[in-house]
Amino acid sequence: MTLGYLISLEQINQLSLTDRQREEIIAFFAARDAELERLYRFDTADTERMVHVMPIMTVVREDKAVQLFTREALQAAAPETDEGYWCVPRVLE
Amino acid sequence: MKLYISENPAAKSADISRRIAADDMILTSSLPTTAGSRMLKGYMSLFGAEVLTRLDNAGFTLAGKANVGEFAVDLLGETSYFGAVETDGKLSNAAAELLKAGEVSAVITLDVNGYPRRAAAQNGLISLKPTYGTVSRFGVIPAACSGDTVSIMANDTAAVSEIFAVIAGHDDKDGTSHPEAVCETAKTAAVPIKRIALPVNLTEGTNEDVKGKLAAFTASAEAAGIEVVKVESDIIAVSNIAWNILMSAEVCNNVSRYDGVKYGYRAENFSGIDELYTNSRTEAFGELIKSVIIFGSETLSADKYNKQYDKALRIRRLIVEAFAELFSEYDAVLLPACSALSYGEEIRADKYAVYTENRFTAPASITGLPAVVCGSVQLIGRAFSDGSLLAAAAKITESEGK
Repeated sequence: MTLGYLISLEQINQLSLTDRQREEIIAFFAARDAELERLYRFDTADTERMVHVMPIMTVVREDKAVQLFTREALQAAAPETDEGYWCVPRVLE
Repeated sequence: MKLYISENPAAKSADISRRIAADDMILTSSLPTTAGSRMLKGYMSLFGAEVLTRLDNAGFTLAGKANVGEFAVDLLGETSYFGAVETDGKLSNAAAELLKAGEVSAVITLDVNGYPRRAAAQNGLISLKPTYGTVSRFGVIPAACSGDTVSIMANDTAAVSEIFAVIAGHDDKDGTSHPEAVCETAKTAAVPIKRIALPVNLTEGTNEDVKGKLAAFTASAEAAGIEVVKVESDIIAVSNIAWNILMSAEVCNNVSRYDGVKYGYRAENFSGIDELYTNSRTEAFGELIKSVIIFGSETLSADKYNKQYDKALRIRRLIVEAFAELFSEYDAVLLPACSALSYGEEIRADKYAVYTENRFTAPASITGLPAVVCGSVQLIGRAFSDGSLLAAAAKITESEGK
């Protein structure tokens, strides 16, 4: 993990770390990379990936148009609203 | 020391045997739900979790929302925005302290990265992480969805069994919910636990207290007529390395929704939309979650996807197969739940300690297998053997000291 790569990951994830946090995360990644070597010792070329640990079926339901919540209820937890809209800063100058 | 993040004052008059708490990963419409994060401070959900609805219908009263580490990924709750819980200068856990104080008879927790099992083991309590898919996760804040399991912590196996009987069952609202008949199987003690495997290489790095608990549990099990056999497993020993990859990737995705716009914390100072997102997330998330996000994001990147994420998914299958092989000879697997019965300064000073300390809890997390913590150690069973594990835990507890 290089500093430049870490900063690009911060940007992708909309985070901004301090210099101290960056140093600590880079050190953590160095230790983690050494740990990952233990995984690479296992040959998985002929092993299928396992996403779901149980044979769980996707629930299929009939479509029904139901109003669960009102607009007012959904916006009750919003930091800022205005006449039924969520407020965000202007995107286009 | 904040045991509750929010409380229901009306619950004070409820009979203690019917009074429960839920950790703050479980949504409630009558109390705020924060996930232990500044990001969700004061957040009111529009609906409550299915598990709490079932418990309410069964006559249980919710006393409050127990303090929890940010998105439940830490050791014991030390990353909570609302403060760590300490007892006699030692790191503790809110759910465990509420039980020890006799405030509630059980706590509903979300086991993301093993904190309920570590807390139960360090406090001599009982914890059940049920088989993945037997308890509804509708209304639970998602963290690492392929392993997140609604769990139960209580003072004894009877209380855990009673709660499990109420909350286990099919739920149409949860896409990972098993059919009712399968969930019913999990409640029964259909297959008695007669032989237990103890993978000794997974006990390395535990201190003398934990080794003592393993020895005491083994002696009690043998006194109860259950054989304990030492084995080794190289693949199960790397469970946490694979789990850290999968967990980080899933948490990274799940917390990407928190951007300070539709709900949650919004930074006061920003000059444009990008700064609003960045400042809100930077100010609201704690350091451990930030590391999880960076880890998960890297793991899912084009460069690392095949080498790390894809590899971890294949390793998961090898671990499931290793357990299946053990279960062809044994009925359960005995493991520690933590490296020490209380965490010293060294582990507390390492803010990323959970990535290695979870080596004891990750085997059950990555496989979705049920795990019961009893006598400060952990018993992992076949899928849907939850009832059998609890019955064995009760039997072994009874034989303690005989």
